[in-house]
Order: sequence, then structure tokens, then C-alpha cells
Amino acid sequence: MEEKIDLKRIERKAYTSYHQDGLIDVFAGFLILSFGLWLILDMAWMGWILWFVAVSAYAAAKRVFTIPRIGFVKFAPQRVKSLQTIAVIGFSLSALLGVVAFMQVEGGSTPLWLLFAIEYYMLVIGLLGAASFCVVGYTFRIRRMYAYALLTLIMFAAGHFLYYPLHYYVILLGTLILLFGLALLIRFIRRYPPSTIESLGDSGNEEQ
Amino acid sequence: MKSNEARDDELPSIPKIDKTIHEPARLMIMAHLFVVESADFLFLQRQTELTWGNLSSHLSKLENAGYVAIEKEFVDKKPHTVLRLTNKGRTAFQEYRHSIQQVLEDLPE
Repeated sequence: MEEKIDLKRIERKAYTSYHQDGLIDVFAGFLILSFGLWLILDMAWMGWILWFVAVSAYAAAKRVFTIPRIGFVKFAPQRVKSLQTIAVIGFSLSALLGVVAFMQVEGGSTPLWLLFAIEYYMLVIGLLGAASFCVVGYTFRIRRMYAYALLTLIMFAAGHFLYYPLHYYVILLGTLILLFGLALLIRFIRRYPPSTIESLGDSGNEEQ
Repeated sequence: MKSNEARDDELPSIPKIDKTIHEPARLMIMAHLFVVESADFLFLQRQTELTWGNLSSHLSKLENAGYVAIEKEFVDKKPHTVLRLTNKGRTAFQEYRHSIQQVLEDLPE
């Protein structure tokens, strides 16, 4: 027995298999795209409401497309918990910064960091977006998320110099991710027909 | 000429290897279940690339050893088998890894 048991590789393979359906890309792309569209209508808050709808729709889509084809897996909760922790910390920090900025502006002095963030808002948004993709990529072991992170960074960095409105970049980014996700989903559906094997001891004639 | 007993004394001590886990297909099943909380039969079959019959028979052996828990449930009126390593299975797998590592380290260059 000279083979090394590479558990990290096995774990990565399990994550990659479960997320090869492209559904996470479809939903991320759709959310970003719709957020851009709501920006045009000056109703960005609708994008946040849609987020909650999308989470339930994602779970339903997994049940329809993924589980009948490659089965179901429940990963160890540590990674999801760390993602939730990062999200809570990020949200708390943003809220805290917002309150501090509001109080300082109300007090008659605009802080330097706020002026910087306003001046370079495209870069700030790009960095935050890229960081979010990296966190998701690390948590769920999806390498293509790092490519999305790079794409986000490049697009918003370019946006800093090109002076088109923000929603142009948001819509373009969302569309690209959505299309790539749809391509992955189509490939996945073609590659894996729904399985007839449901259970141990049932439909046991197959592949024996 | 040395007796067999004397030669055995010179061999590095080989810890007891769990033969239930040592079989390659069962080792693969245990490793795949070790890295997740639970998985269904289909997912495990896709990951291990074992045939239905093979996977089924190895799972039965692991279940008999108390290493794998097989729970049957119905999801949308369809039978669904959820597989998970028991605490005993997790401990046995970790001990197996430790033992096999020890054996390999003790081997002469």
C-alpha cells in the first residue's frame, strides 16, 4: 500500500463535482445582472430583496438539475460556517464604517478615507467584488471563482479610467458570468443524464 | 543460521492493519465519506467510479463493521440512501492512516 491517501484532493474533487453544474454561476450572474438593471431604475434595494429569493431558488434548482444526476452530498459545516462568519464580519464592518462616516459628515468634516473611497469608488467596488468571489471560491473550492475575481478587478479598474456609468460594468459582469454558467449547465445536463439508481437495495439490476 | 523466530525479532514492528479498511475499494469509500458529512449512494458511486454491485457489497461490509451508517429515507416519494461514517468509522479510519504511515516510515530505504 504505497499510495498516499490524499484527502485534500478527494475533498476538492467532491466540491468540484458538486459545483460543476454551473448553477452557482447562473445565480451569481443573474443577481449581479439584475442589480445592474435595478441601478438604472434607481431601485438598487430591489437587488438585495432578490438575493433572498435567489438563495431558495438555488436550492430548488439543485434538487431539479444536480441531485438526480450526480447525487447529493452534505459537506462538513466548518467551511460554510467560516463563510457565514466572514459575511457577518464584513457586514458589521460596513455598517460600522457607514455609521462613522455619517456621524463625521454630520459633524461637518468629511473623513479622508471617505473622500478617497468616493474618488476611487470603481476600484473600491472592484476590490470588494473580487474579494467576495475569492471567499466563495475558497469556501466551496471552486477555482473559476478566482477567474471571476480577476475579471471583476480588471473591469472595474478599467472603469475607473473609462468613465462609463457604474451599471454598465455591473450589467456586463453579470451577463458574462450568467452566460458562462448557462454554458456549464448545458454541458452538465448533456454529460449526466438523470440516474435511475436511487437507493441501495433498490433498482439493483443496473450495472451489476 | 538464524531461526525464523530470531529473524522475526529483527523485523520492524508492523502495527495491526485494519483489513476491513485496507481493501482498496473500501479504503476509497471510507476516504470519500471521511471528507464529507454525508452523501447519497449515487454521489458516492460517481466519485468512486465503482459499479452498483461492488459499491453495494463493500458498503454492506463497512456497515457490518459499524464503520458506515446507511439511512434510508424518502425524498419526493423516491427512495434515497444517505451514507455517513459513524464515529467508530472515523476513528478507525484515522487509526488506519496512522498505522499505514507508521509501516511505511519503518520500512528500510
